[in-house]
Amino acid sequence: MENKPTSVWTSNRFWSRSAGWVTGVAAVLLILLTFDTMAQITMGTAEDVENKVTKRVPSPIVINYKITYEMDQRRGHEVPIIGGNDGNGKSLFQEKEKFFGRDDWTEEEAMELVNLGKLTVQAKNCMDCHTLLGNGAYYAPDLTKAWLDPAWGPEGPMQAMTGASSKEEAMATFLQNPDKYPTHERMMPNLGITAEEAKGVVAFLKHMSTIDTNGFPRNFGKIKGAVYVE
Amino acid sequence: MIEPCTDVVCSIWSILNQGPMTLTIFLHTLIVLPMVWLYFDEKKKLQRGE
Repeated sequence: MENKPTSVWTSNRFWSRSAGWVTGVAAVLLILLTFDTMAQITMGTAEDVENKVTKRVPSPIVINYKITYEMDQRRGHEVPIIGGNDGNGKSLFQEKEKFFGRDDWTEEEAMELVNLGKLTVQAKNCMDCHTLLGNGAYYAPDLTKAWLDPAWGPEGPMQAMTGASSKEEAMATFLQNPDKYPTHERMMPNLGITAEEAKGVVAFLKHMSTIDTNGFPRNFGKIKGAVYVE
Repeated sequence: MIEPCTDVVCSIWSILNQGPMTLTIFLHTLIVLPMVWLYFDEKKKLQRGE
């Protein structure tokens, strides 16, 4: 009986056992990956920042720091650097930067501001046109690293256009009256964002730019001046 | 082949997902090898007339 010619490929039992095996392994993998993701997207605390511990999603207190985007040769893509580079591609959490005139926002104040920004972004449905962390549309620019876009920097055109003296003020001024400042063929409509909401949105955008997204959005670093070079 | 983890938050998954090769080898070990075993197991059973 041992040499009876048989074709396993036409056996229903083989295919159902294989399907069961693959589904089972995939389900276990997905559950493990979900737990792994939960740990990775948990927001860091102010203590982490004080102890110079880099988290994928840092505490909102990072709005007090200078944020740059630098090429990490080992990881093969750009990574956000908070408060200066220690020379090994890690954040130093030392170099501060005024955010609306202050660099001493407490964790609670920063959290409140970032939350207000997030709620405004949801209420005004920014994702109808923009992309945030991979969610949303590509009708308007991707906002994941918008804070790092050199267009808002001292060399960019937006500060002169809005008459603001800093990046955050330029962004906030633009957000309150986007229809006054044509930046694109597809002009952003006026969404009735108030001054306080605009401040929150800018804080939200700054905080989001510090999230390590493993190099997403791809090619952001190709914008001239987006990647910080010593 | 297994290099020190370079991800922000190091985990087994970031080590396995360093590149396409480590992930491929991992998934083949977990899924394809058991299927090869299933194939020969079924063959034996069919030949025995079970």
